[in-house]
Amino acid sequence: MEPQFTEFLYRDSILWITAFALGGLAFALGPIALVYLLMPRQTRQLINKRDQYIECGMDPIGDSWIRYGIVFYLYALIFLAFAVDVLFLFPVAVAYNNAEFSSSYRDFIEIVLFVGILSLAVVYAWVKGVFKWERRTYQK
Amino acid sequence: MGKTNLPKINEGVPSSVVHFGVLDKMLNVGRANSLWPLTFGIACCAIEMMATGCARFDMSRFGAEVFRPSPRQSDVMIVAGTITKKMMPGIKTLYDQMPEPKWVIALGNCAISGGPFAYDGQYSIILGADEFLPVDVYIPGCPPRPEALLQGIIELEHKLSGWQRWQNPQAKTVPSL
Repeated sequence: MEPQFTEFLYRDSILWITAFALGGLAFALGPIALVYLLMPRQTRQLINKRDQYIECGMDPIGDSWIRYGIVFYLYALIFLAFAVDVLFLFPVAVAYNNAEFSSSYRDFIEIVLFVGILSLAVVYAWVKGVFKWERRTYQK
Repeated sequence: MGKTNLPKINEGVPSSVVHFGVLDKMLNVGRANSLWPLTFGIACCAIEMMATGCARFDMSRFGAEVFRPSPRQSDVMIVAGTITKKMMPGIKTLYDQMPEPKWVIALGNCAISGGPFAYDGQYSIILGADEFLPVDVYIPGCPPRPEALLQGIIELEHKLSGWQRWQNPQAKTVPSL
């Protein structure tokens, strides 16, 4: 049958999607509403410490917003170089079993070039002294 | 002492917006069968509490073996031992952080009345948990045996739900709460 474009074609589908969306919303929000209605309205308090973050009973000392040494993030950055390496070497490893690839030296040299160029990132970091574990102070 | 802020001893659990009689009873039976104590031992009675949680006395027969390391997940605070004045603010904080409904068991003579520390000139010990906490069940002993703690938990179950794990064989009729 030829589709009738004058009619609203997907009415049933939209009704179903709406019903499912509303059902999903009800499943998500319903428990919250139910719990809100059934929960005790207040918590008995002795010294109003209900909202204290630390749960061992002792008052926290100082703030959690302190300055950390950021030495480690450089290693995380260098990891990116290795991640890219691995990412692109997986297809190579899969395809390399093929006789067409393994028979020629040209492909091998290409891979060596590729890995070599990526390794330059590590060499660069090495030269910059990233692998020395020391607290860095940057001064303007 | 912080007696001004003390909740009344027999004050019930703060009520919810909506009540269903049967549902509330069912919830209470559920709570009675899964009382999660706070992992909180402050003196030698805690050793007995640990023994109660271990395999020989096996608190998990009564659903109460799940000692929580956080007050936010606990139902019942077992005040297990001597309360020093230095420890009291911490206990208050932990009680505040426990969500409703919450109950308190005073385990041992120190938590009931100070026990051997009640003498003239004593300066460091709070004489009983009910000086600042709404205690539901008192368990005497110095320290109480694990069976006593189990009995206390059963009493608390009975108190909070009216539901009895076993009928009292000597009672003619079941006492109504």
